[in-house]
Amino acid sequence: MSHRSDTLPVPSGQRRGRVPRDHSIYTQLLEITLHLQQAMTEHFVQLTSRQGLSLEERRHTEAICEHEALLSRLICRMINLLQSGATSGLELQVPLPSEDSRGDVRYGQRAQLSGQPDPVPQLSDCEAAFVSHDLSNRGIDISVFYQSSFQDYNAYQKDKYHKDKNTLGFINLGTSENKLCMDLMTERLQESDMNCTEDTLLQYPDWRGQPFLREEVARFLTYYCRAPTRLDPENVVVLNGCCSVFSALAMVLCDPGEAFLVPAPFYGGFAFSSRLYAKVELIPVHLESEVTVTNTHPFQLTVDKLEEALLEARLEGKKVRGLVLINPQNPLGDIYSPESLMKYLEFAKRYNLHVIIDEIYMLSVFDESITFHSVLSMKSLPDSNRTHVIWGTSKDFGISGFRFGALYTHNKEVASAVSAFGYLHSISGITQHKLCQLLQNTEWIDKVYVPTNCYRLREAHKYITAELKALEIPFHNRSSGLYVWINLKKYLDPCTFEEEWLLYCRFLDNKLLLSRGKTYMCKEPGWFRLIFADELPRLKLAMRRFCDVLQEQKEALIVKQLEDAMRE
Amino acid sequence: MFTLPQKDFRAPTTCLGPACMQDLGSSHGEDLEGECSRKLDQKLPELRGVGDPAMISSDTSYLSSRGRMIKWFWDSAEEGYRTYHMDEYDEDKNPSGIINLGTSENKLCFDLLSWRLSQSDMQRVEPSLLQYADWRGHLFLREEVAKFLSFYCKSPVPLRPENVVVLNGGASLFSALATVLCEAGEAFLIPTPYYGAITQHVCLYGNIRLAYVYLDSEVTGLDTRPFQLTVEKLEMALREAHSEGVKVKGLILISPQNPLGDVYSPEELQEYLVFAKRHRLHVIVDEVYMLSVFEKSVGYRSVLSLERLPDPQRTHVMWATSKDFGMSGLRFGTLYTENQDVATAVASLCRYHGLSGLVQYQMAQLLRDRDWINQVYLPENHARLKAAHTYVSEELRVLGIPFLSRGAGFFIWVDLRKYLPKGTFEEEMLLWRRFLDNKVLLSFGKAFECKEPGWFRFVFSDQAHRLCLGMQRVRQVLAGKSQVAEDPRPSQSQEPSDQRR
Repeated sequence: MSHRSDTLPVPSGQRRGRVPRDHSIYTQLLEITLHLQQAMTEHFVQLTSRQGLSLEERRHTEAICEHEALLSRLICRMINLLQSGATSGLELQVPLPSEDSRGDVRYGQRAQLSGQPDPVPQLSDCEAAFVSHDLSNRGIDISVFYQSSFQDYNAYQKDKYHKDKNTLGFINLGTSENKLCMDLMTERLQESDMNCTEDTLLQYPDWRGQPFLREEVARFLTYYCRAPTRLDPENVVVLNGCCSVFSALAMVLCDPGEAFLVPAPFYGGFAFSSRLYAKVELIPVHLESEVTVTNTHPFQLTVDKLEEALLEARLEGKKVRGLVLINPQNPLGDIYSPESLMKYLEFAKRYNLHVIIDEIYMLSVFDESITFHSVLSMKSLPDSNRTHVIWGTSKDFGISGFRFGALYTHNKEVASAVSAFGYLHSISGITQHKLCQLLQNTEWIDKVYVPTNCYRLREAHKYITAELKALEIPFHNRSSGLYVWINLKKYLDPCTFEEEWLLYCRFLDNKLLLSRGKTYMCKEPGWFRLIFADELPRLKLAMRRFCDVLQEQKEALIVKQLEDAMRE
Repeated sequence: MFTLPQKDFRAPTTCLGPACMQDLGSSHGEDLEGECSRKLDQKLPELRGVGDPAMISSDTSYLSSRGRMIKWFWDSAEEGYRTYHMDEYDEDKNPSGIINLGTSENKLCFDLLSWRLSQSDMQRVEPSLLQYADWRGHLFLREEVAKFLSFYCKSPVPLRPENVVVLNGGASLFSALATVLCEAGEAFLIPTPYYGAITQHVCLYGNIRLAYVYLDSEVTGLDTRPFQLTVEKLEMALREAHSEGVKVKGLILISPQNPLGDVYSPEELQEYLVFAKRHRLHVIVDEVYMLSVFEKSVGYRSVLSLERLPDPQRTHVMWATSKDFGMSGLRFGTLYTENQDVATAVASLCRYHGLSGLVQYQMAQLLRDRDWINQVYLPENHARLKAAHTYVSEELRVLGIPFLSRGAGFFIWVDLRKYLPKGTFEEEMLLWRRFLDNKVLLSFGKAFECKEPGWFRFVFSDQAHRLCLGMQRVRQVLAGKSQVAEDPRPSQSQEPSDQRR
């Protein structure tokens, strides 16, 4: 038995080798970078420790902090690279039958540098994460990207508003969740048909999804998408969420560095999904709010714009493999007409592009005068082998915690390649049973759930839009989805993304979580997405906080304008 | 899990595992496709029952290069599993169907589990369980996992919920760890034979390789038992990988081991951990069979029970309910690591590996029910495992077939080398096919990267009637009495495209 511990001497293979020359270069570079890092940290401490009293100054300080975080992230990655360079040199040494076992002085120095778990102890916790030796560069990237994207959401998770227990907690009108029908869903899921623990549900499944569930999904989509012919269960792959489906599609349709076109503004989760695992770029097709001759309605998507974006991307040497469409659109709430949809599909066919259509809000169209046309309802698809449809229960049934997403594709090759991810994105058999029961009950869906849900969405939407009108805030008035896309441009001076971010922070300070246009790659600063699918008391309180912030912002703007005027 | 025929990705001269997507990250463009298909063409002769070349390198494919590789994984790994699923044995409906002694599942305790999962405390539905939650897993579940592991792993200090990340199974955990600990093309060391599906788990997204530490059945030198892992062998494999320019980032240990059914002593574990520390390697310890040690005399120790870990920041422990609670379809796995960077990075990927809130609630209820686990489930499960194990090992003894098994896991590692006249992997494959043709599915050694042809894994954790029938079919094949034994269909081994059923 060996109780050797960390005091153990370096193994002979390592001790004996001489240090290659490249090595000392790494070491020197590493030292320089560490100095640079320290200098930078001190500089930023000086910059940010000045006690600014006004809100404005505080905001700018925060902006500086953001830059600092970015810079330190870059530097830390350099350090990581250098350290791995220094270490790999060491590891590659071939053990020599040497006499001396102590190694030379230079080796000792370097070993100290790269051997300590944290060479820069003065860093704060958050920053220390970025110098982690333990993660790969892509691991660091994933971690940092996640933390920067979900920092505020995590703050909300830890400090949620509760009408009795935490009245000062965050209200979240930022995350797209439907909280209006929890009563119906809770009741439905408690019914006896939901509970089944058969052997087959506890065993390894078909990784594409249990056959009974795939059959039910095919039937469900045939019915609700009004497919002209019955959809085939063999074309269905079931995974634990639409983001998993998207991630798997991005993996099998693109090689790293290749790209999809996406009309912007668009749901930020896709940017996340394409970056974390798949390393696929999303190229925004920028849409404009202004109505012109060619732009008959705000944020209109036209084939010209698609073509222009495609050609531009190609000029830059990018390889575009597909087009991503969200219908009903998130965050705009727009619905594509069958004619425009056909044009987009034909455009894609012309350029051999795959089309991924996310129809996750298809049952959340709450105005009866509007008809949603699923791409699966088309008589014939221009390029059925390159058209892939995503749907899930998170939004339409308000059960984002269920983790269910489905792919429908006519392309067997794509279906089986995506199935290889079944292992990594699998759903519990017990959950698959519940989902099957849920989707099967067409009567309950048609007579109880959908009408109630649409009614409640409509009422909540009515309330929110009335409030916005009273505040004279322009918004994109559509009747699908769980959100309104609002324009707060007039509260920004100057109208920049930095100011947009500051306003977002002001909301956050008032415990109100919204989403800002920048995260949807919107080209124009000042747009926000507001979720209204929440219970009325919470919604009312949220709107009170919303008004307070805008009032505060308005006053700050007036003060600023006065100051500017006096200076002139 | 199915560890059925896996294609041989291995380049002939190296000890490295699949390099499948390794080169894809560095470049893209037209050249890549050419290069890729060329590589594939080179490797194709090594594939067995995989798929027709046209599907992989075809210009008309709708998939990206890596997409074609990924699909290849799916097509190839699936053969036996798919054949089995199309012709599953059923006592009444399909008595001549295939008996599956290949997939490592515990089918002995569904009655107990089914009863437990349908108790009223399991049926809770509340809004917070239906909505987005902490991606690390609901706090109530992470607390239960920490308590559960503290107790069953006999941790000297209470384990902490902050160090727990919950996801949908061990496969996802391998994938996430490979991604956050390694760059594309880097490697983990793994002693072979090993549970072969890990190759796919670490490759699909992570695009990393496995560097094999080959173990021998023969007892030589300082070894005291067959397939013994020693630090010398680890050192050698590491050196070899380095000399081939491959950067090794970690070591994967499976304890109790799959397919050997072996456990590491605390002393051995300590040595491996010290080795890893010396080389600054992460250690992923997969303890998914930790409660399936059915021989009391086997002194199993979890790595979490060690007084002091040599390098706690680089030691990451995995556990799941798939094996110990016989619920591979439930998709619940968990990571325990003291390294917050690693926990956070894995959690960052959890939106792709989440499991339903309702299932999280059920798992918390299950793990909390210490009385039922200790007094009902574990004793009964162990008794049944032991009985099944005794039956199969007796059968093998009567047949005069050597095997290894120390009383942990669901399988016996069986030495059928004497049935291979030339001792080649081709013969091993033919024998495997003969078993399949005689309607019994087994796993062959090559799927575990075993160096010596002729080893098979027999899973014994199945109901007695199926087990008897399965063994009867095995006997027939070995006695050369199966109908097809004399007439192996030539198309099966020579025209892989015919396998794509």
